[in-house]
Amino acid sequence: MNRSREAVNPIRFLAIRLIWVCVLTLCIFAFLAVYMNRKTEGTIEHVGSVYMTSMSEQITLHFQSIIDLRVSQLDAIVQTITPEGSRSEEELRSTLQYTAEARGFNYLALYTQDGQLEMIYGDTITLEDPESFYRSMHNGEKKVAVGVNQAEERTVLIGVPSAYPTADGEASVALVAGLPVDDLSEALSLGSDALVNSHIIRKNGSYVIRGGEAFRESYFDRIRAIFDEAEISGVEQYIVGLRNAMEAGEDYSAVLEIGSERRNLYSTKLPYSEWFLIMVMPYGILDQMVSELSHQLVYMVFLGCMVILLLLIFIFWQYLSLTKRQMAALDGARKEAEKANKAKSEFLSNMSHDIRTPMNAIVGMTAIAIANVDSKEQVQNCLRKIALSSKHLLGLINDVLDMSKIESGKMTLNVDQVSLREVMDSMVNIVQPQIRAKHQHFNIFIHDISIENVCCDSVRLNQVMINLLGNAVKFTPDGGAIHVSLYEEDSEKGEEYIRTHIVVKDTGIGMSKEYQEKIFDSFSREDTTRVQKTEGTGLGMTITKYIVDAMGGTIQVESELGKGSEFHIILDLLKAEVQEADMVLPSWDMLVVDDDEQLCESVVASLKAIGLNPDWCLDAETAIQMVGKRHKLHQDYHIILLDWKLPNMDGITAAREIRRLYGDNIPILLISAYDWSEIEDEARAAGVTGFIPKPLFKSTLFYGLKPFMSDLTQEGQENESALNKRLEGRRILLAEDNDLNWEIAEELLTSELGLVLDWAENGKICLEKFETSSEGYYDAILMDIRMPVMTGYEATQAIRASGHPDAKRIPIVAMTADAFSEDIQRCLDYGMNAHVAKPIDVKEVAHQLEKFILQA
Amino acid sequence: MTLQECYAAIGGSYEEVVGRLRSERLVQKFVLKFLSDSSYDLLCKSMEAEDYQEAFRAAHTIKGMCQNLSFTALGDSSSQLSEALRSGFTPQAPALYQQVKEDYQITVCAIQAFQKEAGG
Repeated sequence: MNRSREAVNPIRFLAIRLIWVCVLTLCIFAFLAVYMNRKTEGTIEHVGSVYMTSMSEQITLHFQSIIDLRVSQLDAIVQTITPEGSRSEEELRSTLQYTAEARGFNYLALYTQDGQLEMIYGDTITLEDPESFYRSMHNGEKKVAVGVNQAEERTVLIGVPSAYPTADGEASVALVAGLPVDDLSEALSLGSDALVNSHIIRKNGSYVIRGGEAFRESYFDRIRAIFDEAEISGVEQYIVGLRNAMEAGEDYSAVLEIGSERRNLYSTKLPYSEWFLIMVMPYGILDQMVSELSHQLVYMVFLGCMVILLLLIFIFWQYLSLTKRQMAALDGARKEAEKANKAKSEFLSNMSHDIRTPMNAIVGMTAIAIANVDSKEQVQNCLRKIALSSKHLLGLINDVLDMSKIESGKMTLNVDQVSLREVMDSMVNIVQPQIRAKHQHFNIFIHDISIENVCCDSVRLNQVMINLLGNAVKFTPDGGAIHVSLYEEDSEKGEEYIRTHIVVKDTGIGMSKEYQEKIFDSFSREDTTRVQKTEGTGLGMTITKYIVDAMGGTIQVESELGKGSEFHIILDLLKAEVQEADMVLPSWDMLVVDDDEQLCESVVASLKAIGLNPDWCLDAETAIQMVGKRHKLHQDYHIILLDWKLPNMDGITAAREIRRLYGDNIPILLISAYDWSEIEDEARAAGVTGFIPKPLFKSTLFYGLKPFMSDLTQEGQENESALNKRLEGRRILLAEDNDLNWEIAEELLTSELGLVLDWAENGKICLEKFETSSEGYYDAILMDIRMPVMTGYEATQAIRASGHPDAKRIPIVAMTADAFSEDIQRCLDYGMNAHVAKPIDVKEVAHQLEKFILQA
Repeated sequence: MTLQECYAAIGGSYEEVVGRLRSERLVQKFVLKFLSDSSYDLLCKSMEAEDYQEAFRAAHTIKGMCQNLSFTALGDSSSQLSEALRSGFTPQAPALYQQVKEDYQITVCAIQAFQKEAGG
């Protein structure tokens, strides 16, 4: 529970943070959008007023320069045309008219003292604002005003002080010239352009020049009307503001809010007049453009915002899944570690228990033995149990050591040439006592063996086999069956390899599916009450698996609870280069009897391969009939191979029958995977001649049949000596300190094998004789181990280390009465090639010598 | 006394030795030769001198000869003695030595008896 909440929490944490980030981002972008909008509005106003100011300045300047120009033109007229220069008043007036017309004025008049306009030419014009004009003129100022003719056409009037004689004989106050209003408004480009609407008005709001579509008399009325139209109040504040500014002669600037529409109003005083320039710029278009812009901006901002959010969510999601995966991996690793730890501690406690049991036995039995030291029987009993427990303890410790070697990666394979036959034989020998003790049915079956000699680590292969078989025996109840098969096929790895299958099958308690999956894990043993009675470290299968893996093979297991287990090992082994000894026997007729058809076929094939002519059948009854048929035809089989375990009638009974019916002439050999010694007496009594142990390799058959073959032949002696002639004349150096033993050896080896023997009384003499011999003089050395002066071990070591050309090559075969495996191993360690046990067995010696001498 | 009877007296296996040496003549030759072997003297001397390494070798040699000749009884006791002496003196050794002595006397007596008859 706790764990799952811990696992969820970071996700919630991240989700909350993500939401925070999203909200924050949205807020920032919204704020930015609003702020930018505000800023844009302000900027537009600012830009508007700057634009309006500079525009009005320009218009004002333009206005001033136009008026200045006209004033200066008038001034020039006044300067150049004087009353004194003219002969008559008429002439003066016509000169003035002429000059003014030439300057483009459409009106000219003299302004009299009483404020009348004495027209020189043009239409009659009435001044619209006579008072201020009058004042200005009398003050001698230059002044601009507007007049209206009868046709209501407006004319701009400019007055310049001058003293021309008027009709009433007085001097005029000023000369007034007129310009069409349109000229001025065109020149000032008043009216309405794309953006700006401009007018010129007087203080009271009446228009001097109308711009655009204005039609009312007063500009103020116009504004009011516009506001009324939009049904919006508040117009008066602008009008008051404008009036006040005009009154004070200041510029005025304001933004008129007419509903959603906004207009910039700007007013400035024009020089030479009582006029004001009014400019109005509606923001509509600008606003529209800007708001479009800001809409776009907002869209872009939100789009950007969305992209960033999506990206964030994507990154978040990815991070989340990464985290999840990491957490899962971590969790897995932790569980794995916990499991391994648990397995190890379980193993430790199991081991401690397993070690304690035999230790207790040893301690207890020792105590009992001490207490009963006088009772020989009891002490022996105790010692036997102690030995048993010690052996068991040693096995446990060996397993643990192997395992620690494997775990530290130090276990290496020691590949050498191995005979599968020897491996199988030794395995069978080892498990036979256990099988016998549990009364189990044991069968071993080989077929399709094309190559007996392969390259492999024989010790490790043995270990694997013994492990599997040991387990099979251990987990199969009394009376169960164990079946081993071995066969070969072509390897996928190439010509030089042979694929070897080893199958160990039992009818034991089997394994659960769950257990099958972890059977090869370290420190595992199925933890059920069924198994708890069984001793073991639980390392055997791990070690087995490791060895098989190291050999590049596979191991498979099939099992069902209560039905049994089957282990199948497949190894691709390198074929050994040694040539198998030429195994050929005369083409005797033979009969093979076994209830396994495959085995029969396999044996028959092997027998044919060594030159024999075999028949086969599946049960004893048929066999007896076949033997009888042959007997009638006087074509007896030369040898009969009988399986011990047969249906209905076993091999021994069958042999007894054959002897009873057809006499003692035909050798009958029993074939079995069981120990021969158990049944030997019974079998011999029944007339069985000999025994060949299963598995029946070609070489097993050959060596098993060979002696009987020689006995059979009438020229047996010759035949055997023919066989042994292969060693005739070979010179052997024999190291043996005992006269009697030497004589026996000499007698046997010389007479039987035709060898030539040289005697060395001890290891030192042996070494000297070898060293002084010429190259190739000795074909082999037979070496006793226990000798005075120099032991066989030392002598062998010295021979191998000597500078003699044959030092490394010469076969050295140990002969010793010590047949313990460690002694044999020690012989090999010291550089000997093989070992034969005393007393000397000629066949065995011949076999070993042939093996080394003839093969070399 | 035949050779077979002699073997029975010694506690040996006549069949085995004949099976290996192939002829009675050879067996007889080697059995007689056993009398002149010096290993037993060496064993006795070494045991008295407490040279157990040499004693081991002597016992071992006797064991080898007995195995060659299938003198089962003496072979067994000498084998046990040699094991007891393999890595130096052990408490069992003296008892086993006595056993070897007994067996040797029986063996030698039987062979001498056979020799007399065969010689006679």
